[in-house]
Order: sequence, then structure tokens, then C-alpha cells
Amino acid sequence: MLPKTRREIFTSGLSIKELLQLKDAGFEPLGLTIGASVFQIGFQNLKAIEHIELPALTQAMYQARNLSLARMIARAGELGADGIVGLTLSSAIKPWGDGTGEFTAVGTAVRHSIPGSYLTPKGRPFTTALNGDDFWILISSGSRPLSYVIGNCVYQISFQPPKSPTLQAIQNVEMLTHSRAVGDGRELALARMRAEGEYYGGDGIIGASVTESSYGWNTHMVEYFASGSSISALQNPEAR
Amino acid sequence: MPDRYIPGSVEGLPIQAQNRLRSMMPATGRKGLFTSDLSVNEFLLVREAGFEALGLVVGSSIYHIGWQQPALNQSVELTTLTQAMYHARDLAMTRMEEEADMLKADGIVGVRLEVGRHEWGTHLAEFLAIGTAIRHTNGEHYRSPNGRPFTSDLSGQDFWTLLRAGYRPISLVMGNCVYHVGYQGLGQWLKQIGQNCEMPTFTQALYDAREHALARMQVEASALGAEGIIGAQVTEKSHGWGSHVLEYFAIGTAIMPTRADHTIPTPQLVLPLSDRMEM
Repeated sequence: MLPKTRREIFTSGLSIKELLQLKDAGFEPLGLTIGASVFQIGFQNLKAIEHIELPALTQAMYQARNLSLARMIARAGELGADGIVGLTLSSAIKPWGDGTGEFTAVGTAVRHSIPGSYLTPKGRPFTTALNGDDFWILISSGSRPLSYVIGNCVYQISFQPPKSPTLQAIQNVEMLTHSRAVGDGRELALARMRAEGEYYGGDGIIGASVTESSYGWNTHMVEYFASGSSISALQNPEAR
Repeated sequence: MPDRYIPGSVEGLPIQAQNRLRSMMPATGRKGLFTSDLSVNEFLLVREAGFEALGLVVGSSIYHIGWQQPALNQSVELTTLTQAMYHARDLAMTRMEEEADMLKADGIVGVRLEVGRHEWGTHLAEFLAIGTAIRHTNGEHYRSPNGRPFTSDLSGQDFWTLLRAGYRPISLVMGNCVYHVGYQGLGQWLKQIGQNCEMPTFTQALYDAREHALARMQVEASALGAEGIIGAQVTEKSHGWGSHVLEYFAIGTAIMPTRADHTIPTPQLVLPLSDRMEM
């Protein structure tokens, strides 16, 4: 797919409109890049009586996602890309038992007419979940995408029934310890996403979301996953 | 219900929330990295309106939803459940506002209020409020009259349009009503068997419940001195109470004019090139 002497075709998941917008912003699509990682979630010894983060599982899920992203970026690098737009990171449980799943990162590699001008300060292709539409608007308004950023936290919610002996089925009360536990899990994921954003530099993160999923583990284990796209001001707006 | 909001309080916030927000506090002379769930358009329009995004703020409350047993044939409001459902949402909203306070925000846009259930707790429901805290760049005062950060479920686009027309959002206002829809009596059932006819008891019950929810939302808005409520919606849901117990929940954004003499710009015709699918 790497254009050498003769002009080769590109593949992409872009709509016509997105293709035209990319071209207008000075980019051309190079190809669809995919990175995947099949993982098996091991076991972390559970005492199951307290609300607590499970760091081994947090790490494992993070590593698996990171691997798939890194492979996608490496593939884009081979194509000589300046960046990847329309990135999606999806997970799927595979029916091979024992918590086997796959993370797949997919995006369209693009190159600017001045190659290299849009690499991130760390010298790697930028990544963003923004589609062609949003990418074009962002560039036109004098900003640029930097990196797709993620953060996660696998949390265990206690099996124990609420402590209070007076709590009965008819009562309407807040379960404050549960609120704090779930809140902590979500906040940790958000904070880690932001820490990634700080690492790559930039002004801020847009399009952030935080989701919750159990991946077919036992129901008392929940992963909070935060993701977003970091952006920064365009250094040389006239280059476009 | 007493106001749960105490300016500057962080009591309801989980430890990790305080850690996260403290790390986001702009250090002297340097603006920290912001986070937001704004789309590109929203981000640009909020900035154009003179605001800067500060951070994604969340508030959550896990609530044990109990049960209240009414007489089967009665159509009545279940006041304990109504209050519980309101209290839980209010806790989530207040915590989100406390997070916004920590970031020294003027308000929160794009607020979503969700109720979720978890597999790990059959009688537990999570009430979650989430949105992006913003602040006016020139320090104009945009807080709601009661001192809270303003909250609104308007998108960035709507927010911009609203400000341009000389209005500002004050607060998300809500009202709810949990209602037990009485079972029909045997006589009534026999009379109506096989008929196509209105069920007056059911109609009346649903009407009452919906009106209660709407009325409570309006009371909240007038207490704030709002001119009106926009984007109001009433939803109906049974939170695992069986088919005869329903909650009506009304929510909308209360607004007020920024100035008495504001003018509304004339709308213009725009023909977009997007497909209907893409809009």
C-alpha cells in the first residue's frame, strides 16, 4: 500500500464527504490500519468483602488495549502516515473460555501534503477518534488532534450485604459506601485518561466518555473505561 | 426539601474525585489540561460564546430503592418512593456541582442524568449526573441566583444560540412522582370485558402522576426566578416495581434573560449538504 513509483490505491472507511474534507485540510488517506490483541484475563485473588480496585486486572486490560493501539500506530508508521483519524477501539468476548477477549483498534491513516508536519511532539503519528467531519472543523478552527487517550479501573464491589442491620427491603436510603466505591472507580479512570493527555501534551481532551462494563466476569467486578481525544492549538496554521 | 448544596463543601465527593480535581486545578500561571465530553462543534461554540471548558464533572449516588405497599385498588402517589427517587437525583446533581465548584466553574453544560441498575445489587440503583464544567473567560457572573453553578442539559450549540438571543440557563429543574395505578375492580372488569372503551381509572391515574411531576418542576423553576423552562420532557419508567407502579420524571432547563432589552436575531435559512442520516 505504500505509494512508491507508481500510484497505488488506498483503502479507507471514509464517506465521500469525509474524503473531500480530508483533502481540503491538506491530507490524503493512505489506508485502513488495524491493530488487534487477544488477551486472557487471569485471576486476581478476591477477598470480596471490601470495595477495592483490582490493580492486576486494571493493568491487564490497559496493556491489552495499549498493545492493539500500538500495533495500529506501528502499521500507520509503516505507511508513512502523519496520523490516524476515525479511530475506534472495540472489545469482544471470544467464546474460547477463560475470559478470552479481543481488543481491536481501527482507523484511517492519513498523510499531510508536507509529510511529518503533523506528527506529535513525541514524533509519532497523531491518533484521534474524531471522524473526517470533526477533524476538518477542528483543523479549520486552528486546532489539531494529538492523541487518543484512555484510562481504566477495574473495581470490585463488595459482596457483603449493607452493614446496617436495620436496613430492610422497604427502606429507601443512599448506600454511601457503594456510592463512594463506584465514584472512586470512575474518577480513577478519568484521572488516568487525563494523565495520558498530560503526557502527550496539549490543551485539553474533547469527546470524553466513561463507560462501565463487566466483560462476563462475575458481576461484582466492573471496569470503568474512559476515553477521549486530546487536542492542541495548531503551531503553524499557515502550513495548511 | 432542604437545600443540600453548601458552597465549598466536598463532603459528598469520593476521595479519588477530590484527588483528580485537585490535580486539575490550574497551577499558578499555567492552564491545566482540560477534559470534556464536548464534540468539536460544541467545544468551538462554547469557546466562541466566551467560555472555556474546565473539566468533565460527575456525581453519583447508589440508592437502595425500597418498596411501599398500597392497597391494590387504589390509585395513589407513593410519597416515600417519590421522595427517595428525588433525593437520589438531587444527591447526584449536588455532587456534580461540588465537583464543578472545585474547578471554580460558572456552570455545567450538556448535563445528562441517568438511572442505571447493576447486576451486583438487585435493589440498588445508581443515579449518575455528568457534564462539562465551564467558566467565563472574562469572569462574567453566570451562576444561578441561588449561588449554585448553573446547570443545563443544553448542547454546546443550543447554549451558544441561547446566549446570543439574550438568555442564559439558570438550572436544571426537575420534578417527579411515583404513582401506584390501582387495579380495576371485578365489576368494572366484567362490564368492560371484550369492549373497546376508555379505562377512566387508568387515564386519571396517569394524568395525575404526569401533572404532579410537571407541576413540581415548574415550582422549582419559579422559585429560582426563571422566565421559563425549555427542553422539558416527561419520561415514564418503572424501576423494577412491577407493572402497576410507575415513576413520571420531568426535567428541563430553566432560563432567564440576561438583560431586559435583549433582541433575538432573525433566523436565517441554511441549506445543509448533509444527508438526513448524517445530521
